[in-house]
Amino acid sequence: MMNTIRIFAPLAWRNLWRNPRRTLITLIVVSVGLWSVLAFNSFLNAWTQASKDTTLQLLLGQGQIHAAGYMDDPGVETLMPPPSDGLLKALGDKRISAWASRLVVPSVVQSEYKTLPVMIVGVDPKAERRVSSIPGKVVEGRYLNGPGDDGVVIGKHLAERLKTGLGRRVILMSQGADGLLAEQSFDVVGLYDVDQQTEDYYVFTGRAAGQKFLRLKDEIAEIVFTIPNDQDLAPVIRALKDAAPDMDVRSWKQLSPFLAATNSFMSGFIYIWLSVVFTLMAIGIVNTQLMAVFERTHEFGLLQALGMKPRLVLIMVTMESTLLIGLGVLIGMAMAAASIWATGDGIDLSGFARGLELVQGGQVLYPKFDAGSFVLFSLVIWILGIVVALWPARRASRCSPVEAMRMAT
Amino acid sequence: MTDAIVSCRGVSKIFGSGELAVHALREVDLDILSGDFATLAGPSGSGKTTLLNMIGALDTPSSGHVVIDGQDLGSLSKAQLSDLRLNKVGFVFQAYNLIPVLSARENIEFVLELHGLERDERRQRATDILREVGLEGMEDRRPAQLSGGQQQRVAVARALVSRPRIVLADEPTANLDSKTTEELVRLMYRLNREMGTTFVIGTHDPRVMEHSKRHIELLDGRIASDERTG
Ligand SMILES: Nc1ncnc2c1ncn2[C@@H]1O[C@H](COP(=O)(O)OP(=O)(O)OP(=O)(O)O)[C@@H](O)[C@H]1O
Ligand SMILES: [Mg+2]
Repeated sequence: MMNTIRIFAPLAWRNLWRNPRRTLITLIVVSVGLWSVLAFNSFLNAWTQASKDTTLQLLLGQGQIHAAGYMDDPGVETLMPPPSDGLLKALGDKRISAWASRLVVPSVVQSEYKTLPVMIVGVDPKAERRVSSIPGKVVEGRYLNGPGDDGVVIGKHLAERLKTGLGRRVILMSQGADGLLAEQSFDVVGLYDVDQQTEDYYVFTGRAAGQKFLRLKDEIAEIVFTIPNDQDLAPVIRALKDAAPDMDVRSWKQLSPFLAATNSFMSGFIYIWLSVVFTLMAIGIVNTQLMAVFERTHEFGLLQALGMKPRLVLIMVTMESTLLIGLGVLIGMAMAAASIWATGDGIDLSGFARGLELVQGGQVLYPKFDAGSFVLFSLVIWILGIVVALWPARRASRCSPVEAMRMAT
Repeated sequence: MTDAIVSCRGVSKIFGSGELAVHALREVDLDILSGDFATLAGPSGSGKTTLLNMIGALDTPSSGHVVIDGQDLGSLSKAQLSDLRLNKVGFVFQAYNLIPVLSARENIEFVLELHGLERDERRQRATDILREVGLEGMEDRRPAQLSGGQQQRVAVARALVSRPRIVLADEPTANLDSKTTEELVRLMYRLNREMGTTFVIGTHDPRVMEHSKRHIELLDGRIASDERTG
């Protein structure tokens, strides 16, 4: 077999350049097809990553700890004490980059014009800044100063709906720890701008101020934590569960099954694209190769008349397509690497994202070079291309020498 | 027993079937002997090409037997026929004999590669045979850079290089002018004398027949005459 390759490789190579136009067409079909798969894959990954990050950075974190029962019925009855020493130690894990505790309870906000249901979130601003992007998204006024700050920071859209604004007062109402209604007016000290859904739903105040309002002592509703490295997620969750066995420790995947599903759907989408590209490519390859084989019918007849076995003709023609498609694959890989490298500084989608409020992606995408999928997709295209080209090659090997020789004269 | 390289017994070839059936060969009996320099003549459609294809194991008969060097074609598979051609037969066709992307030398080496010869030996034999047919200095030209006569010489060189038992040529001079025809025929004749290679040449051309030592005439798929002159 090695011998056969050595004999036919130069011949196959020269045959490629007999019809440069057709060779060029096949090269373009294969390289552009592969380029689109590779570039699209890295773009898609960057997109998924960015939109996941954006969502997780908002409030979710990579995971949260609650008292058992809180998730089913969030409220003053299902709170928990501040972290115990054991849990604090577990939260000090190097793999956890930051954590913060919050008081989160359902509430109602009221302005002169309207009453709307919201979640009141009591935060420690210093810790909160390290786990959430919202403190950085304050567009009017200021964020909270400390746990005792009794101003509120509300979403821009909520402010519009309430027809209120900076410097005005809103009334928050909720069930207090004693079971009685708690009601208090708060100064609006800041407005934040993220997506509408979040803006409408979350109202922030100092954690101690919130506890005071609800007549609580030091109870909290949740501990949110961030884990920069995806691979650490599962082991850290496990360690936290061990440290706080009677609490409800969840990763973002359990907290937001929809986001997790979107994430895996997006990565599955590349296979749809791969099959579209491959189908188009297959049509192109089969057509050009069939034409090439047909034009050379006489030559294949001659080769067989000279004593070349049909099997060898098949191998020779397959080697031609192996070289041709392989060359196209290399060009496609180079093109994809170049475009990933060119966009490595980030693709800024902020203008685009603003135009489409629906777009939940991060505003800057960072396409990354992922050697594993790069090689995998290239190999898949190469091998499938060769397999498809076997059909024209079979036609070539079936040329009858007599028929082929008759055709020429 | 004769020293027949090829023997045909009751060979018939029918193309198509029913109304459209063409009897290209009818009950042909023929022995090609070692050292023959035979011409196969006859009007167009008389079956020359068909018969040469049988003798060269390119095709198999509809009925009757073709035996090449002791092997009956009827019993062989496609791959076995390939091997038989590779080892025992050399071909020179009317035109388009050469692989266009290969140089004269490479066209010849290609056949030796199929035989599994080593590189140095291939080189040597290709160079020698090209000198033999008078193409010294043109080894690296591609077919398109050679004249029709030179291309046919390469084809003859290729047919001979693996030292086959028999060389079959189907109208090898059809596209050549008379001077080139003369040269090519002299070449084949010389090779027949000097190397003892057996030639069977299908032709209309009187200049080719002049040199023949055996003249076979076909008519309507039958052998009309078979005369030795040399
Ligand atoms: N593959 C085929 N299918 C159908 N008919 C064929 C085929 N090959 C040959 N024939 C017919 O068989 C007969 C003999 O053909 P052949 O080519 O052997 O003649 P020839 O003597 O070589 O003629 P020419 O001098 O024109 O080359 C002709 O009638 C031809 O049309
Ligand atoms: Mg003929």
